[in-house]
Amino acid sequence: MSKHLETICGLLAGIALFGIMALTFFDVAGRKFLSHSITGSLELTELLMVIVIFAALPLVSLRGEHVVFDSLDHVLPKAVRTVQQVLVQGICGAALLGLGYLMWQTGGNFLESGETTAQLAILKAPFIYGMSVLCVITGLVHLRFMAKPSQANEDGDGGTL
Amino acid sequence: MTEALIGFIAIFVLALLRVPLAFGMGLVGIVGIGLTRSWVAALASTAQVVHETGFAYTLSVIPLFILMGNFVAKAGLAHELFHAAYVFIGHLRGGLAHATIAACAGFGAICGSSIATAATMSKVAYPSMKKLGYSDSLSTGVIAAGGTLGIMIPPSTIMVIYGIVTETNIGKLFAAGVLPGLLTALLLMTAVVIVTSRDPEHAPAGEKFNWSERWKALRGIWGVLLLVIVVLGGIYGGFFTATEGAGIGAAGAFLFAVGRRALTLRSTLDVLIESARTTAMLFTLLIAATIFANFVNFTTMPGDLKDWITHLGLSPVMIVGAMMVIYILLGTVMEELTMVLLTIPLFFPIVVALGFDPVWFGVLIVMVIQIGLISPPVGMNLFVINTLLPKVGLGNIFRGVWPFVVVQIITLGILLAFPSLSLWLPSFMK
Repeated sequence: MSKHLETICGLLAGIALFGIMALTFFDVAGRKFLSHSITGSLELTELLMVIVIFAALPLVSLRGEHVVFDSLDHVLPKAVRTVQQVLVQGICGAALLGLGYLMWQTGGNFLESGETTAQLAILKAPFIYGMSVLCVITGLVHLRFMAKPSQANEDGDGGTL
Repeated sequence: MTEALIGFIAIFVLALLRVPLAFGMGLVGIVGIGLTRSWVAALASTAQVVHETGFAYTLSVIPLFILMGNFVAKAGLAHELFHAAYVFIGHLRGGLAHATIAACAGFGAICGSSIATAATMSKVAYPSMKKLGYSDSLSTGVIAAGGTLGIMIPPSTIMVIYGIVTETNIGKLFAAGVLPGLLTALLLMTAVVIVTSRDPEHAPAGEKFNWSERWKALRGIWGVLLLVIVVLGGIYGGFFTATEGAGIGAAGAFLFAVGRRALTLRSTLDVLIESARTTAMLFTLLIAATIFANFVNFTTMPGDLKDWITHLGLSPVMIVGAMMVIYILLGTVMEELTMVLLTIPLFFPIVVALGFDPVWFGVLIVMVIQIGLISPPVGMNLFVINTLLPKVGLGNIFRGVWPFVVVQIITLGILLAFPSLSLWLPSFMK
């Protein structure tokens, strides 16, 4: 199951990111050298950004790459660590399910108002529903780790800087 | 004031319980707004922050610069950079250590991450130093400290994040980082001279090369130079924005890696996904920090703190200096990005009220992060090197890095005392 999730989300996020790169490159090159930019490139980038961020979110959780303060890990007994893991995964899971619900409602509001992007008139609601679904999926990843704490990956060091 | 204080304490308690910092900050922010204002306001503002951060064109600068750095690392340019640095200065005592710092500075000009720079150099520079009999502590210390140049010398992920959070011009921040970055490199090299004079046997000089060999080595790094000139020159010259520059840089690095046959379809996808994961993780932090900052800004804390500090009658520079001391202390035990995101809502208004340039403060922030990344016991660069070179041991790395921590603190003092070092280059920008 997690293998499929990794493949699907990875492809989504990876291709969207490549799209942003190519779009920015051709847009800037076209504008500077041929005085012809790509219509709606800004809003396409915005939509692709949503895909990059939220499709990669389940992967971050699967690999345990969120930034955590883990300096106490080696002083805590194993039993305490297990209880702690169950609790923490539960909190993260619940928070993401809640966020998913909130974004689903927001998506509904956008659908009602029919808000679209400015130039290409692409409906925004499906993307907000997408955010919601991916938040829920990420939440389920945490809840699965809550049920089976031994499978949780905690080695990810979240190297951002 | 009390509400915000309780909020900060709650975040620390949650962090100690091992709740990921993004979740801790976000939850405290939502509950805080819910209790002090209303739950409807809390949920509405959360949905708005998530939606606005997701659909933000200017924020695409973050994944694009991350992508550029990852493609460059994949292209194997670091070897050429290290070789080029070595043929120029390898004949000095501790030549390989000097070459490592110079190569880090060069790599930093195309990569915006300290950890990626340190990780790449561990693979490139450490084996050479080991072969020539350099001590493990010196080699890893140099790599850890040199790696931090990745975030001072533009492009820089942390400068982008600081620019976004404080609404400071990213192009100016990049320009501001150039001289402080070079100064840091110079002072790190001075530290190598001092350290090796006490233990010359463990840092022998390398062979001397003639000028034709040097020119040949320089030709090996034309790709790096071209990328730097186009991307940073373009941003500095106002030819394009930071976001556009990042897109050009990422595409350029991609084409370069393809040209060197360093990429397969599989590895391209791996680089893309890795960059997307880092992006998602950063954005979770960014969203959570914005929610928390919204809560803090609803409270009286930023105002109270500003009034209290400005009425103390201290000189403005002393106040900023005190902030730096707080950062250095926090940086020894905290993850640096979180430290900055948590404190910016409190410190930034004070700095602006004191009349300081946000660009200068940004450079100082980057410098304290550099120090935090290499100061034991919690320094990400040290941990990354420890993971990549497990035989060396954290103890050796800690022993090797402290002279460089001292040097970076001195550098911070210089940057604090002479703001023009940071502000001179940006002053030419429109």
